[in-house]
Amino acid sequence: MIRLEGVSKVFKGDVVALKNASAEIQRGEFVFLVGPSGSGKSTFIRLLNREEVADEGRITVAGKDVGEMSSWRVPYLRRQIGYIFQDYKLLPKKTVYENVAFGLEVIGRPRQVIRTQVPAILELVGLSRKADRLPDELSGGEQQRVSIARAFVNRPLILLADEPTGNLDPATSVGIMRLLDRINRSGTTVVMATHDRSIVDTMRRRVIELDRGVIRRDESQGVYE
Amino acid sequence: MLSRLWYYVRETFVSLWRNLSLTVAAILTVAISLSLVGASLLIREGADRATAQFQEGVEFIVFMRADASADQDGAIRDVLDNSPAILGYSYVDKAAAYAEFQELFSDKPELVESVTAEVMPPSYRIVPANPDAGNVAEMARQFGEQPGVKEVATATDAIRQIEDFSNRVSQALLVAAVVLVGVSALLILNTVFTAIGARRQEIEVMKLVGATNWFIRIPFMLEGTIHGLIGAALAVPALFVVDDRVLAYFQESDAVPLFRGFAVPEGFVWDTSIWLLVIGGVVGMIGSAVAVTRYMDV
Ligand SMILES: Nc1ncnc2c1ncn2[C@@H]1O[C@H](COP(=O)(O)OP(=O)(O)OP(=O)(O)O)[C@@H](O)[C@H]1O
Ligand SMILES: [Mg+2]
Repeated sequence: MIRLEGVSKVFKGDVVALKNASAEIQRGEFVFLVGPSGSGKSTFIRLLNREEVADEGRITVAGKDVGEMSSWRVPYLRRQIGYIFQDYKLLPKKTVYENVAFGLEVIGRPRQVIRTQVPAILELVGLSRKADRLPDELSGGEQQRVSIARAFVNRPLILLADEPTGNLDPATSVGIMRLLDRINRSGTTVVMATHDRSIVDTMRRRVIELDRGVIRRDESQGVYE
Repeated sequence: MLSRLWYYVRETFVSLWRNLSLTVAAILTVAISLSLVGASLLIREGADRATAQFQEGVEFIVFMRADASADQDGAIRDVLDNSPAILGYSYVDKAAAYAEFQELFSDKPELVESVTAEVMPPSYRIVPANPDAGNVAEMARQFGEQPGVKEVATATDAIRQIEDFSNRVSQALLVAAVVLVGVSALLILNTVFTAIGARRQEIEVMKLVGATNWFIRIPFMLEGTIHGLIGAALAVPALFVVDDRVLAYFQESDAVPLFRGFAVPEGFVWDTSIWLLVIGGVVGMIGSAVAVTRYMDV
């Protein structure tokens, strides 16, 4: 599903974000990216989505060479990739329902599809009763559920998560992780960058550890350290 | 497909509305600049038409009185036929003069109806052997003293006046218009840029979930194009006012008889209007395309 072969990324001022990284992630895997701040976790994720382009090496996502891909194809790549963040990136003036619907609307999905898919996904994330709320009327955990709903409503092959529990308390984080686990069990590949030791240690999934852009460790049922 | 169309229309108008003050400024600038472009084109066309009689070497025109006798007419024709100073001439009789009048004022039937061929002055359009200004003036003076002659219009007077007038006015207008068209493009660019800024969160999410660049661009480009089109649409009535008031003023003025030819048919005004709409739309589209491209390709 995802393959990196000798990938390097250097930013201006010789900041090495990723150095000769190679990894292969199978369909349906759940992968934690761990490592200290600045070690290249976000860069790893952004390269998969073609928000950044590698300087060296090759990245393949869902059978497509992401680096070689012409830019007009990038949106179609992104339609196969859900993406969630620490800060949710919800639109403050749209309701929960509208935020999720927006994700389908702007990729040209027909209205009947939106009308059936949005309630279904809100049901999945447990927010059916709050469909008409605005984001700032929700707790952080609920907002993250909305962003997961938006990322998953198009049933992507891959879900990228960059510190999705970074702003949440432990109990709420567990709820979010249960949701991501459910999504993963339905066949979606999940790649998640995190600093949350207890989550990694409880879930016991594959762990890729980065250190100054180098893959230090890649274990199939790993722990945080 | 229908829902996508609805999306574009909705997003475009929401954005226009949010940005109202800049939108109004952009539209008015387009309207003013295109009015000037149009006025300049009309004046130029009017001048071309007014000087049409003086083409092919004709340097002066002897207008006979409508009631000139056959003898008086014959005397003039005699001079024209025999004088070595005259290279050639053409005679425009009452019927031809009337036909020309009809054509010039085709959009003013009441004016055409108010005259008959009987009252039209027949005229001689004269090509002198020596087109030198002093010589032409002297010949014009001599013809003017002949009995039966109503007046003599020389190309040197009339054409210079008209060409001077039209050149100066239409060029000044055109320069102002070009500057203002540039200003309108910049204003539209800015308005669209502001509109984009107001929705950068939406755009970020759109890119994230895989909206195509065109999908993101189109509402903004529509917005700019609509600025241009509305501005141009406002310039169209202004054009008719110019045609009605300004050009009519010259037609009615007695100061220079040839200004009476300074009429532009309604068809030309409509054609010009279509051009204004095209220019407006294109300026709006270009302005917004630049804004969108600059923003999107960070
Ligand atoms: N757009 C950029 N321009 C310049 N340098 C960048 C850019 N993005 C990341 N970097 C640098 O690349 C390195 C890796 O950054 P990255 O964001 O991938 O780290 P991270 O592991 O996600 O850190 P954190 O845990 O703090 O989120 C850092 O030194 C960072 O400063
Ligand atoms: Mg990061």
